[in-house]
Amino acid sequence: MLALAVISQQSWAAGARGTAKSVLAPLEAQMMSIASSVEQATAIFGDIATLRGENQRLNAENQDLRRRLAELDAAAYDNKELRQALDFQRTFGHRTAAAEVVGRGPDAFSRTLQIDRGSDDGVRAGMVVVSGAGLVGRVREAGSHGAIVQTLADPQSRANVFLSGSGLQGTMIGGPAALQLQVEHRLGSVASKGEWAITSGVGGGYPRGLVVGDVVSVTHSDAATTDAAFVDWVNDPATLSLVIVVLDFSPS
Amino acid sequence: MKLVLGAMLMLAAALVQVTWASQLEIAGTFPNVVLIVVIGLTWTQGVRAGLPWGCAGGILLDLNAPGPLGLHAFALLCGAYVTGFWARNLDRESPLHPLGAVAVSTLLYSLVLIGADRVLGLPIPPFAIVVQLTMAASLYNAALMPLALIAVRRATSGLHWEPAAP
Repeated sequence: MLALAVISQQSWAAGARGTAKSVLAPLEAQMMSIASSVEQATAIFGDIATLRGENQRLNAENQDLRRRLAELDAAAYDNKELRQALDFQRTFGHRTAAAEVVGRGPDAFSRTLQIDRGSDDGVRAGMVVVSGAGLVGRVREAGSHGAIVQTLADPQSRANVFLSGSGLQGTMIGGPAALQLQVEHRLGSVASKGEWAITSGVGGGYPRGLVVGDVVSVTHSDAATTDAAFVDWVNDPATLSLVIVVLDFSPS
Repeated sequence: MKLVLGAMLMLAAALVQVTWASQLEIAGTFPNVVLIVVIGLTWTQGVRAGLPWGCAGGILLDLNAPGPLGLHAFALLCGAYVTGFWARNLDRESPLHPLGAVAVSTLLYSLVLIGADRVLGLPIPPFAIVVQLTMAASLYNAALMPLALIAVRRATSGLHWEPAAP
C-alpha cells in the first residue's frame, strides 16, 4: 500500500491517478440524486417540502444579499475599481464552468469536494472555485471527468484577505469549525465584528475581490504582532451542490 | 457469493461515506462508514475477511481523497489488524469490546493517515486540530458501532470467511 502511495505520487502517474479518481464520479452523482429524491420523498409529510423549498429560496436570497452587502462595503472602502473587481465574471469576463458537487472528502482532515468536471472540460489543478455566495477553494487534482476541490475549510488552506471596514490585511487559515484569521496590527485601526473578509489578491493565489465571510469574533492583543479573529464562511460545504470553476485565472 | 456481497458492501459504504455522511457532522467530524463496516466485518467474520475488504474499501476512499492512492487502504488495514488481534484474544460476544476496538482503530487510522502524509512530505493539519478531530471521530464511530454490528451480522449471516472464535 505504501509502495502504491509512493508510485501514485510520481508526476508521471498523475494522469492515471486522475483518471482513476474520476471513475466513481458518475456513481456519486447517482447517490447524490438519490439522496435528494429521498429527501423530497420524506418531505411529503405535512408542508415540509414547501417549507424546505421556501427556506432554500430564502437562504439563496440571503446569501445573495450578504454578497451584495459585502460588495457595497468593499466599494465604500476601495472605490469603484474594487467594486468592479468583485463582480469578476461580468467586469473581468473570466471564463467559467459550472460544476455539480458529487462527493465529499472521506475523512475530516481534508475538507474537499468532488466535482463532475475535469480536464476534459478545461479544469486544471490550481484553478479557483467559487459559488454564488463567494470563494469556495481551489482545484487540487483534476481527472478526465472529475476533480477534487480543496475548500477553504481544509486546515491546509490559506488565503490572503482584507477587511471591508478597517481595510486591515490578514491571512485566512482553514479549520473544521470556523475559519481563523490572523489580522495585521496597524496604528489607529482595529478589526471589528461584522466586517467582511475579502480576498486581497496579495500573493497571487486568488483574484482580488472574492467574498470569504464575515468576522464573528476578534481577540486583540497589544503584545502580539497580529490579532486573532474567527470568520463565518459564506459557504457551507455540507450543503454546497453547485460551484463555478474560474478557468482563466492562473495563480502565480 | 461472498465476493459479490463483500464488494457490494464496501462500494455502498464508500459511496455513503463520500456523499451522505458529511451531512451528519458533529464537532467537526462525521462517521467513517467504511471503517465501521470493516471493523464490523473483522469482528464478526475474522481478520481474514477484514483485511482484504479493508484494503478494497480503503482504495475506494483513496479515489475520493486528494493525494496519493493507498493511504486510506493502509490505514484501514492497520485498524482491521488490531481489531482482529483484539477479537481473537478477548470476549467476542461482549458488547463493549467492539466499541473499544472501533475507537482504537479510528485513533490508529488517523495516526497512520497523518503519519503517512508526513512521511510523504504532504501538508498536515495543526496538531491541536488533529487531536480534536481524532477524539471526536473515535467517539462518533464507537457510538454507531452497535448498529453497524447488527447490520453486518444480518448482511453476512450464513457466510463465514473464517470460523468464528468460540
